[in-house]
Amino acid sequence: MSEFINENPNVVEDNELPRRKEDEAYQSLLGNAANGEALRRRKLLLKINHSAQSQALKNVELLDRLLLTSVPPELIPDNNEDTSEDDSFDEPADPIDSQEIYDLIAHISDPEHPLSLGQLSVVNLQDIEVHDSGEKDKMAEVIVRITPTITHCSLATLIGLGIRVRLDRALPERFRITILLKTGSHQSENQVNKQLNDKERVAAACENEQLLGVVSKMLSTCK
Amino acid sequence: MIKQVKSLKLHKDKIWDLEESNGLLGTASTDRCIKIVNLNKEAYQLIDELDDTVHKKTIRSVAWRPSSTTLAAGSFDSTISIWSKDDSAHDFTSPTTNFEMELMAIIEGHENEVKSVAWSYDGLYLASCSRDKSVWIWETDEMGEEYECVSVLQEHSQDVKHVVWHPSLHLLASSSYDDTVRIWRESDDDWEAAAVLNGHDGTVWCSDFEKAESKVRLCSGSDDRTVRVWRYIGDDEDDEQEWECESVLPQVHSRAIYSVTWGENGLIASTGSDGLLVIYREVDGQWEIIGKKEQCHGTQEVNVVKWMIVDDKSLLATGGDDGHVNIWEDFSP
Repeated sequence: MSEFINENPNVVEDNELPRRKEDEAYQSLLGNAANGEALRRRKLLLKINHSAQSQALKNVELLDRLLLTSVPPELIPDNNEDTSEDDSFDEPADPIDSQEIYDLIAHISDPEHPLSLGQLSVVNLQDIEVHDSGEKDKMAEVIVRITPTITHCSLATLIGLGIRVRLDRALPERFRITILLKTGSHQSENQVNKQLNDKERVAAACENEQLLGVVSKMLSTCK
Repeated sequence: MIKQVKSLKLHKDKIWDLEESNGLLGTASTDRCIKIVNLNKEAYQLIDELDDTVHKKTIRSVAWRPSSTTLAAGSFDSTISIWSKDDSAHDFTSPTTNFEMELMAIIEGHENEVKSVAWSYDGLYLASCSRDKSVWIWETDEMGEEYECVSVLQEHSQDVKHVVWHPSLHLLASSSYDDTVRIWRESDDDWEAAAVLNGHDGTVWCSDFEKAESKVRLCSGSDDRTVRVWRYIGDDEDDEQEWECESVLPQVHSRAIYSVTWGENGLIASTGSDGLLVIYREVDGQWEIIGKKEQCHGTQEVNVVKWMIVDDKSLLATGGDDGHVNIWEDFSP
């Protein structure tokens, strides 16, 4: 059976996970830190009005629906109708940093513990690397190095897949996502890394209902 | 100099593969709906959308049977579908909106995701490969209705990502997650391994043969960010084919190379995760880059590039995660 690196993993309380100071403003605004973060994230994606009076800000459900339906139109057989031209407002570059990535993935549930990946220190703020100019027409990159709680188990692949799916769904299209096991953290590191970063295998895994069910359950605790 | 001729928004999801024949372009996408676009006389007209309920998962690959209007599609649902248009009227130069290809057959056999399908030059054989590590050779009749598996080739130790036939021989190349390319040939009534090409340091996503009669060469693109050119030297005393890696093309990709294509014009093109489209030319045995286009599908990944000749013009078609097919011309350095 699998062997724990640390028999008594140092479990971090949810409210002790690293978070950004400025979030407190949103905390007081909405009375709930997690909700505030989720909203902030959505605003970033949607580029909506940032004021507290914004109708959209008041209506989380509407935002959710907007997010779900923001698929591109069906057939535009035309060269010049670039979607970037739809954005009449000129927003200053707003790069995404490692704290934001952390907030997106820290609350994913561990598939075998009733705890989050942040609490189990499977994901750590200092192991997230982001290269982003914030300009939406430039490519950006995020590298997440994860530390599985045990040195050999197929669950490492599942955890990695959960993180990838979460980031794929939440991050803008300009991001290239790389998920790696932290050096020395797993017996078959290269094998797991190769699988996690194979676009085709990930795409196929996301069409496997059983696997998708497990991943959805892991992500259901994301705020 | 690489100039964009056209950008067609065809799918709501990723385009994984595309192929042109008779000026007709077919596309494979996560959305399970194959689209047929008429490129003749710069029509760029969508003439058919095939039934998207036939496959239950992503369509990963499409291939036209040579000199016909039969199309094969390989899907993550582990099956291959065959579509055809009654080709009594062989004139595609006049655009039409109701091309109406019909489903002819569903081929089952692979255990899981089919990743690539390809027809031999004479349309006699269809090759397919899968995550189940095998390559299957199917023989078909003139109508393309019956398919009989004539060989299951199982020497790859991992997923087989791509298959491609030689333009004038019954010689097949398969690329794999096991970092190798394998060459297969016909031998009496069966098929056998002819060679294994070792050298890439990562998944080989794609390969393509040189379009030449005089020599047999192959280019391959990999997760290791290199494009390699391999040359067939001859058969050794054990009747094994000897191949050598003749060159590694100038390295400019910063991420995985998903697709390579070797044109009738002798040029090689590559693209991949970094969104970069690169064209290479051989001068006195040395390969040089004659064209580069960055972010050829915006900020998104590009899964496929293929040379095609439409209206006697040499063009490149690319397909990306943005659901677009982009068409490129003018490859003068």
